[in-house]
Amino acid sequence: MIEERAHRVFEVAGGDFGGKLMVTRRTGRAVRDSLEGALEELPKGGILYVDTRGVELMDYSFADESLGILVSRSASGEYGDRHLVLVEEDRDLLENVEASLRQRSLAMIRVDEIGAEPGIVGKVPDHLLDTLQAIYDAGSITNAALATRLGLNHTACNNRATRLAKLGLIHRRVETAAPGGRQYTYKRIA
Amino acid sequence: MSGVLTMGSLDPAFDAATGVDGEPVVVDLRTVEFVEPAGLCALAALLEYLCARCEVVDLALTGRDVPAYLERMNFFRSFGDRVRTNADVASLEERRRHNPGTLQELINFHAEEEIPGIIERISEILENQGYRLRERVAICSTLSEVCANAAEHGVSSFGAYAAVQAYHHIVSGSRRRGEEVLIAIADGGVGVRETLSRNPKYAEHTTTDTDALRHALEMGVSATGEIGRGGGLALVAGIAARAGGSLSLRSGSGRVTVYENRKNSRTVPEFPGTFVRVSLPRTQQEKSSG
Repeated sequence: MIEERAHRVFEVAGGDFGGKLMVTRRTGRAVRDSLEGALEELPKGGILYVDTRGVELMDYSFADESLGILVSRSASGEYGDRHLVLVEEDRDLLENVEASLRQRSLAMIRVDEIGAEPGIVGKVPDHLLDTLQAIYDAGSITNAALATRLGLNHTACNNRATRLAKLGLIHRRVETAAPGGRQYTYKRIA
Repeated sequence: MSGVLTMGSLDPAFDAATGVDGEPVVVDLRTVEFVEPAGLCALAALLEYLCARCEVVDLALTGRDVPAYLERMNFFRSFGDRVRTNADVASLEERRRHNPGTLQELINFHAEEEIPGIIERISEILENQGYRLRERVAICSTLSEVCANAAEHGVSSFGAYAAVQAYHHIVSGSRRRGEEVLIAIADGGVGVRETLSRNPKYAEHTTTDTDALRHALEMGVSATGEIGRGGGLALVAGIAARAGGSLSLRSGSGRVTVYENRKNSRTVPEFPGTFVRVSLPRTQQEKSSG
């Protein structure tokens, strides 16, 4: 069972930026500013669902300037422990988001609707894919259990999960484990 | 010059224009029977070039169809007070009728903030004319990306011109059955080679205009070199190529055309700026499945 986290839904087509037709970097910047504002208002551990389902057209420039740069900043830790999830169906519009994130060697979690099974848009290094899948299958899992499941030593497993956490694709929590040790727990974000 | 007014058919005129120095000039289009958006945008760029260099520019036209088309495409709105013509423009205005194939009349723009309005308008026209979502997306994203490039890199005294026209036959190559949408954008900026040359890491790709154009069509190549930049043109070229159409990019003395499975390059007479022509054929499958 995944714990209920603070979240907010941002409907991109519902803003004051042009509704269903999202074009140009300038528009992308305006949307990104609003998304950053929404992210920063969330408590730590919160999730911002970026819902683009009402958008008919999103050109590459818009996709890169709004989502590409936002995900890039998130991956560099600018928003702390706050996460982004894209709410969008598997349709042509995703191509430009995918292209932008691939250019940046980044990825984000995507769901068809809130609560639906998560997928990935963008680029996740091949050697991290099975780690990501195992964490999402488990919902929540300790480093020790994950290492066993993947047949990795604890350090290698922790390194992989840390990388996924930095990419913004999972939550990573440090817990104090008796006696005197630390235990990492990883959780899916959607 | 004869038959169809395209970008290429104006090559001799551009060539001659470089030698103009204040004297009166006549642009003779009397043999032109058909104007496509590429020819219209190229003509606009040529006249801007000439108007900046001489006081009197005459445009010689013949017949009724070409002047009427130019009027419907708002050509005389941009040039009526700067270019003299033998055509009776006042009578054309009275008979003005909307051409259902016109998706975007000749439009002059300077800045990125004008583009969303252009896209909204054409999207509405496309929707009213029964274009499916996928087609609208292809046409609108092509126009928005190329216009954004023109607004950003093509800075010039006249900005840039764009026009879009739909045809109930294929006009690119040999005329045949089918439907096609043609998009053209021309700017008077410094051109692709000089823009890319600002980024020292592209030094070996900017030896010639054609090299620069080929490189500009690669994913992720941009003047600033910032990650994430330089994707728009490569992606819209891909959309056109996948649809069985093409994207032709011309700047300086280079021209590169991208098709589904090949890229043709040619050295051509100098064009003072950057010019893009995109052909998007409509197929029966697209029209029915959306």
